[in-house]
Amino acid sequence: MTMTPRLRKFALTAHVTSSVGWLGAVATFLALAVAGLTSQDAQIVRAAYLAMELTGWYVIVPLCLASLLTGLVQSLGTTWGLFRHYWVMTKFLITIISALILFGFTQTLGHLGDLAADTTLSIDELRNLGQSPVLHSGGGLLALLVNTTLSVYKPQGMTRYGRRKQHEQRKGSQP
Amino acid sequence: MANPPPYPDSNSDTGDDTRVRPDRGSTTSTPRWVKVFGIIAIVLVLLFVILHLSGGGLGGHTPPIERGVEQP
Repeated sequence: MTMTPRLRKFALTAHVTSSVGWLGAVATFLALAVAGLTSQDAQIVRAAYLAMELTGWYVIVPLCLASLLTGLVQSLGTTWGLFRHYWVMTKFLITIISALILFGFTQTLGHLGDLAADTTLSIDELRNLGQSPVLHSGGGLLALLVNTTLSVYKPQGMTRYGRRKQHEQRKGSQP
Repeated sequence: MANPPPYPDSNSDTGDDTRVRPDRGSTTSTPRWVKVFGIIAIVLVLLFVILHLSGGGLGGHTPPIERGVEQP
């Protein structure tokens, strides 16, 4: 299935927007997580955790799903394919792993919001909760930067499946 | 706009205005960057497993707060 050029542009715009948006949202989340881990002000720590919960649920998770979905449309609807080029396949794997880790991490997000609202917790107890978000968002940011780099540079290399498909296509186009 | 080429690697039109050099990477072996990525992925997975097995974890998914325990 190959999309028309107009539809392809639209799908590409949607994919770039959601993917870069996801990257930016994770960078914001990391800044909040660092503030939650290092701030000496309990109000700032609580506010950071509440903002992280909202950002996670209403920005990062939807953008992650949108990026994955539009990426699938973009690859399967064009001649790039999903398993023909190593860089596309690598991006797909990184996105799937990142999404799985993110969905596992949503449990922590819920806990963070609940505990941030608990006024009986001391600032030290609150700050100790901040290690996991910093590590997860830091790792996520790195993975998304790798994905962005792969998208721009498109490093060479076709998979065995891609080469076979290319061979079939060339054979079919010869008179 | 012209129709997309049969294969992006065989033509410089990638369909997204980011040009790719034509007919590059036509070798049949796995590119070096894929091998490097594979090695990094294996190292990261091993690191993740070792950290979790050793109990250090990556900060844990569940906050280590025990609620409902009365202090003396």
